[in-house]
Amino acid sequence: MHNPYLPYPVRISSLRIETEDKNLRTFKFEFLNPADEDKFAYLPGQFAELSIPGQGEIPIGIASSPTEKGFVMFTVNRVGQVSSYLHNMKVGDVMGIRGPLGHPYPLDKLEGKNIVIIAGGFAVTTLRSTIVWMIQPENRPKYGKITFIYGARTPGLLCFKDDWSEWQKRADIDVHVTIDREAPGWDGLVGFVPTVTKNVCPPPENTAAIICGPPVMIKFTQPVLEEAGYSHDDIIMSLENRMKCGLGICGRCNVGPEYVCKDGPVFTLSQLNQLPREY
Amino acid sequence: MAEYIVKENALKDFFKALTEGGKRRFLAPAEVSGKLQMIETDPEKVSLDFGNTHQSPKSAFFPQTEKLMAFHKDTAKSDPFVYKPLGLDETAPMVLFGLRPCDARGLVVCDRVFQNNRFTDPYWKSKYESAVKIGLACHDPRPACFCTAVGGSPFGEAGLDAIAFVRDGGLALKTLSAEGGEFLKGLSGLESAEIGAELAEKKQAAEAGMPGPLDQSKVAGAAVMEIYNQPHWKDTADRCLNCGTCTFVCPTCHCFDIQDEQNEKGGLRMRNWDTCMSWLYTVHGTGHNPRPTKTERMRQRFMHKLKYIPMKQDGACGCIGCGRCVTLCPVNIDIREVARQMNG
Repeated sequence: MHNPYLPYPVRISSLRIETEDKNLRTFKFEFLNPADEDKFAYLPGQFAELSIPGQGEIPIGIASSPTEKGFVMFTVNRVGQVSSYLHNMKVGDVMGIRGPLGHPYPLDKLEGKNIVIIAGGFAVTTLRSTIVWMIQPENRPKYGKITFIYGARTPGLLCFKDDWSEWQKRADIDVHVTIDREAPGWDGLVGFVPTVTKNVCPPPENTAAIICGPPVMIKFTQPVLEEAGYSHDDIIMSLENRMKCGLGICGRCNVGPEYVCKDGPVFTLSQLNQLPREY
Repeated sequence: MAEYIVKENALKDFFKALTEGGKRRFLAPAEVSGKLQMIETDPEKVSLDFGNTHQSPKSAFFPQTEKLMAFHKDTAKSDPFVYKPLGLDETAPMVLFGLRPCDARGLVVCDRVFQNNRFTDPYWKSKYESAVKIGLACHDPRPACFCTAVGGSPFGEAGLDAIAFVRDGGLALKTLSAEGGEFLKGLSGLESAEIGAELAEKKQAAEAGMPGPLDQSKVAGAAVMEIYNQPHWKDTADRCLNCGTCTFVCPTCHCFDIQDEQNEKGGLRMRNWDTCMSWLYTVHGTGHNPRPTKTERMRQRFMHKLKYIPMKQDGACGCIGCGRCVTLCPVNIDIREVARQMNG
């Protein structure tokens, strides 16, 4: 019988400090048993429990794309016991990952549509996965125009600079990266994500938005999309809640009748409108 | 379906036979520290005369604390820091005698959580599916019992392999599942008998003194937010202490925490019962808490039992009417009263 509580053993194959405040680190893991990589078959938007023996587990969105082979990547914010311990681990250390968990973004339902992807701060992780996946030659023709809007407070708090710098050079994706205030050495956009969204988001016809960010960004971006005419069925979000099992059993992550772990974390705004705001 | 009787003087032989010569762990209602509990016990000590066990029988399949896996730190051996599962192979199957029909229904509700539409919990499944479950019908339900109000019966059959009732100091039994029929066939102490008419008569008599159906039709038809935003929650929450007693004694509360323990040589990953009454249960690493006050937490429990579980389990009520929370709540919060307010 498959044991969904048992993590796959992995080794930290690389790590880097992601942001200037050093609160975010990006870890790449390789599987100790190469066959486990196939068992860990995932899609953009899913998450996994990072499992540190003796410390515990944390649910983290998968930042790599399944098209990137040989590793799985996560960007982790240092907030509690497990994430703080993880920030002190080194390349070569052995731990576990358990998953994939949750549902991916509805990539098949989005086929044929224009996609606008809106991210704030470090909530960009599963959206990086999505963009990397969508711009693969075998996937790119399935989608219309792709627009990526990404904001952080300062240039040094933007994640995945190498990735979006490359995307900026491509003709098949519009990239708008913004910071909150002018900063030395920054010649890109300045302004908050909702304002940039207002200026650059495509018309709502046959378009869906995927939006991940801090609550304040979502609070002010949602009305911009509504004013632009986006229907709530076409605004897709990903929730976070405290979790333990990740399997819809241990109870705590529910939002109304839905478990964020098992039934989410991806929901449309239409779905969320029917549920308590317990997230 | 087979029907049997066990005479009073054959009871001990019958209980011993249920262990299949010691191959099965035998659990039955027996007294521990002055309270009756569903526990592993000596066939000599089984009680047939009781209202219900103090705690629900869920702990047989979902122990209050359970080791899930272990790891070692010895780098001279293979696999240091790699968790290996515990407790999935070595457990002897169980036979449970004396499950009250309400509690058996509670196990069915839990089973649909532990074996949900996406995942199967192997720690639950390995114990639950290998167990033979023999119910003991209630002739004389307790004052706080209300199984009949939530779709059950003191002679209910859901979740059971066989049902028994007390007869002339011995037992009468009817098998309910193929597994139950196979298991009981030829067991020492059993005599074939016709008990159908007597069972129907006793069932009717037991149900006659019980409450009628609790009307939940408006709750069933309403949107989640309509019930969630009702004004009565605050009043009930004013009394609630968030002590969690209701969640620990409830046969359908299944929430747990996962915690790691370690020393210099290695460690364990455990799961322990948890309670949605706790602030810590939902708090994010950032300090944000989606259910920050006891009003949200108390509402969560009743919404879960009476709205969310019915939505997810084809209308089945998440409360099976055992009455334990009604009896043990230190501030007399009564789920029947809350259910009426929700439907009102």
